[in-house]
Amino acid sequence: MDLPAGTRNYTYAQDMAIFRTKTHWTLLIGLLVVLCTAPLWWGNWLSVANLIGITIIAATGLNILTGYCGQLSIGHAGFIAVGAYTSAILTERFGLPFPVGLISAGVVAGLVGMFFGMPSLRVKGFYLAIATIAAQFIIVWVIKQWTDVTGGHMGMSVSAPALGGLVLKSDSSQFYLIGGIAVLSIFFAKNLARTRVGRAFVAIRDNDLAAEVMGISLFRYKLIAFFIGCFFAGIAGSLFAHWARFISDEFFPLTDSILYIGMIIIGGLGTTTGPIFGAIFIGLIKHSLTHYLVPTLESSAIALPAGFASGLAPMVFGLIIILFLILEPRGLAHRWQLFKAAYRLWPFSY
Amino acid sequence: MAELLQFTITGLTVGMVYALIALGFVLVWKSSGVANLALGQLVLLFSWFTYGMLVQAGLPIWVGFIAVIIFAVLLGWIIERFILRPLIAQPILSLITITLGLAYFIEGLVVFVWPASVAALPRLFPVEPFHIGPAVVSQQYLWAAIISLALFGLLSLFFRYHKMGIAMRATADDQRAVQACGIPVTRIFSRSWMFACVLAAVGGVLMSSIGGITFGLVGTGLKAFSVVILGGLDSFLGAMIAGPIIGLAENLGEGYLTPLTWPGVRDVIPFIIIIIVMFVKPYGLFGEERIERI
Amino acid sequence: MRKKTIRVLSGLMCLVLVATLLGACTSTTEEPEAKAPLKIGMSTPSTGVAAEKGAPMGHANLDCIKYVNEELGGIDGHKIEVLWLDNGYDASKSVTIIKRFVNEDCLLFTAASSGQMTAMMGIANENELSGFAAFSSPNLTQPPQHIYGQTPDYGDDWAAFAKYYMDNIWKGSGKPKMALHLLDNSTGAGAKMAAEAGAEELGIELVAIKEHSATTTSEIASLTTLLKEEIDVLYISSTPAPTAIVIKSAVELGMYPGITIGCGHAGFTKALVDLAGADIVDGVYGVYPTVGWEDDVPAMAKMTEYCQEYHPGDYGNMDYIISWAQSLIAVEILRLAVENAGADNLTPQVVEEQGLKKLKNFDVGGLHGPVTYVPGDNRLSKSVRVFQIQDGVLEPITGWVEAPFINYE
Repeated sequence: MDLPAGTRNYTYAQDMAIFRTKTHWTLLIGLLVVLCTAPLWWGNWLSVANLIGITIIAATGLNILTGYCGQLSIGHAGFIAVGAYTSAILTERFGLPFPVGLISAGVVAGLVGMFFGMPSLRVKGFYLAIATIAAQFIIVWVIKQWTDVTGGHMGMSVSAPALGGLVLKSDSSQFYLIGGIAVLSIFFAKNLARTRVGRAFVAIRDNDLAAEVMGISLFRYKLIAFFIGCFFAGIAGSLFAHWARFISDEFFPLTDSILYIGMIIIGGLGTTTGPIFGAIFIGLIKHSLTHYLVPTLESSAIALPAGFASGLAPMVFGLIIILFLILEPRGLAHRWQLFKAAYRLWPFSY
Repeated sequence: MAELLQFTITGLTVGMVYALIALGFVLVWKSSGVANLALGQLVLLFSWFTYGMLVQAGLPIWVGFIAVIIFAVLLGWIIERFILRPLIAQPILSLITITLGLAYFIEGLVVFVWPASVAALPRLFPVEPFHIGPAVVSQQYLWAAIISLALFGLLSLFFRYHKMGIAMRATADDQRAVQACGIPVTRIFSRSWMFACVLAAVGGVLMSSIGGITFGLVGTGLKAFSVVILGGLDSFLGAMIAGPIIGLAENLGEGYLTPLTWPGVRDVIPFIIIIIVMFVKPYGLFGEERIERI
Repeated sequence: MRKKTIRVLSGLMCLVLVATLLGACTSTTEEPEAKAPLKIGMSTPSTGVAAEKGAPMGHANLDCIKYVNEELGGIDGHKIEVLWLDNGYDASKSVTIIKRFVNEDCLLFTAASSGQMTAMMGIANENELSGFAAFSSPNLTQPPQHIYGQTPDYGDDWAAFAKYYMDNIWKGSGKPKMALHLLDNSTGAGAKMAAEAGAEELGIELVAIKEHSATTTSEIASLTTLLKEEIDVLYISSTPAPTAIVIKSAVELGMYPGITIGCGHAGFTKALVDLAGADIVDGVYGVYPTVGWEDDVPAMAKMTEYCQEYHPGDYGNMDYIISWAQSLIAVEILRLAVENAGADNLTPQVVEEQGLKKLKNFDVGGLHGPVTYVPGDNRLSKSVRVFQIQDGVLEPITGWVEAPFINYE
């Protein structure tokens, strides 16, 4: 890790520490204070913040799978759907408590992910991309048609999450739940990258043949990557179901899967901060359009062409993905690193 | 028995149209190794452009088609020059995702320019169906099948005998060696995108003259992916054979599997085939299995 | 290269930030009113895949409220304040929107499509905020909670058509054989639920139910399996493009003409005629819940005036009518609530009990069937008209036909 001049590590613990200097700790505590008091003053943005928090969890999972291990998945929304329905079915139809639903959602989504990830043992790149698209369609079709269990087109009502006797009905109470799990996932992802498994993932991403020659079992690690990535998706799905109180197959379209890919690219593939930046960036654009820009334009009585707003959003998203890939393939996380470096070295920035 | 004949004929003709669109994919893959995930969106864009030329601008059909072809060539050039060329030698992940970005962009562009979600092209072929025994086949599909067969023939000949075609094949094999021989690789990429866009345009016009211009055209792009996976990514012949197989599987599935499973099974059959193919024969029926070296 | 990169990216970021801030600044300015305004929430899919329908619906919603505020002086001096949000036909956006309606104490809310209302339903029912959707399906209104349907749902379409068919078209003996061809979402599911629950009673034999996707390009195969059933009538509940494909396939197979084809209102528009061709769809029946433009009904003049002035591009669009009517109903509900409970005591619960549930024979300016609340039946208007395509024009062939209530329990 880059440290300010004069700060040296004398122990292994110091070397491994994520928060090392006083500035780090001050910033961390400041951020925690802001987050903990958020429900008091974020108002309507709270539900958007919750949604973004859920997105961060899912994007972190996809980042482990795609960013670290290099296995492209364009079916992430499908795996999120598996988690959402698992949790909804267990809590609503079988009356199990929410934490059981949450964990099972992760496990079931992880297992389904492992199944659809199995082709990755023989194929990669475009083949895998298509296999995961296929996963998305097959999952959504099953959800749509297995009406006895999932409610089919009619969807399913989901109750508010309850921890023991505590029912988290409002957005402000759920904020702590979602925020807590998001922080845990980020912490897990950060540490995973520094373990044997994480390094094996990176080796597979950079050159899978070389990795295999070095003694990394592709079979094992690719499936682990799929399991972990989809486990996160399942957790996100479960939280989403209990946050939205209602799910149907229409909540999990292919475009969402593509957007997740866009998020981790914009944020920065293979970095821990990347998915956070990406999810916040895309989430803010999407919801400020909804809650502010479009109503403002509409009420200002400027006659916009019919396709203006609807066409513009995908155009901008598409353009952002293209531009980032061409101009800044390392994403916002890299920008952030540069910013930190510039701050640390200021005023001698070269 | 009459039923079976009907399913078979419908499946084969529909499959030929899938094959036509899949050819465009194979073309780009064969020469530049780029997987074009924006295939369906290109089909949609060209259908709307055709609508713009024929209906909105009121051009006569032949002039309109020439305009569409010119537009397709131009767009192919633009895509290659400004989107894919900066990414030459980047990892495959970036190449795939950039076409996803392109797909998103085109989808927005289409809504931006043509906010109406559905439209119809003028009829290109007569409505009266063609009878084969007890079964019927619409003339639209019959013509589409004939056109895609013809294009397949042309492409095969082109790749076998024409200098450019041979150069394209060589490029697919080893870019560096080709460059050392003095063949301009970037021009080859550019040409292949132009051809691919023209194929997408032809496919788009045929598809939308049959079913109208709707967002569903994007779905035909997805069908084309299953065709290339089954046939092999780098084989024209594979696409031409896999297309009708997918079409057949869909229609037979609709006829005989729906009562046993759930409705809508037809639409997931191509995806189930993909998964099976990947387990059993990952490089497709006619695809070349590449041996990797470190 | 490096510098350029930074410039382009920072430019992009700035744009986004400025847009956000601009939006944030301008949206919260309000003028003080003499009497406290009554706040309602409205949401339409004005962007996204359904923008073609959603955008004119949003325009109509707002134009009508503008008309009520400017020309009628609001309700008893209380202006109506609308919190209008675009949901982009995105389910998760819809959830954030309904949460905002609840947080900002809206008294009532409206939505355009059944899909979006489905996404909003969970939160709305939990918070007892009542709302109604322009297009609805049975899953919204049954079992009855706090969500209402403005017009008859896709199930009612089937019921109204089936009743009309039995009374006027079916001349044979015995039970007619009917097949359904349905879109694989709530549009189709609504008709399926109604047909399975009501066919027996109406004396119709339901022989087959087929499904298609919104992206279908040929339905020859599915119709081939219907050939041996020798059906008398085919009912299609879908959107225009797939409906056109089904009818075309039926013509190719020689099934039609020969059988009767009926369509639900989601697919029965001018677009159907354009897509399939007037000669193909000639004689097809369909139902639709509103009057057409230029029909002689009381509300037509004002609606035309406002539409021409503010959104001339929407003139002739049927969806504009349904949403103008939607706003009229919302205003009527608030008026009843103010009259019955007083403007100072309004809460979402009071508006539902004292406004919505007191609706009785409100004629909506003649734009669609009269609106009445009947306990246990959360459909507000229950009437549709049957149309037939004649020479490429959708001609009404009946007056208002009431769809019988079907209990799906």
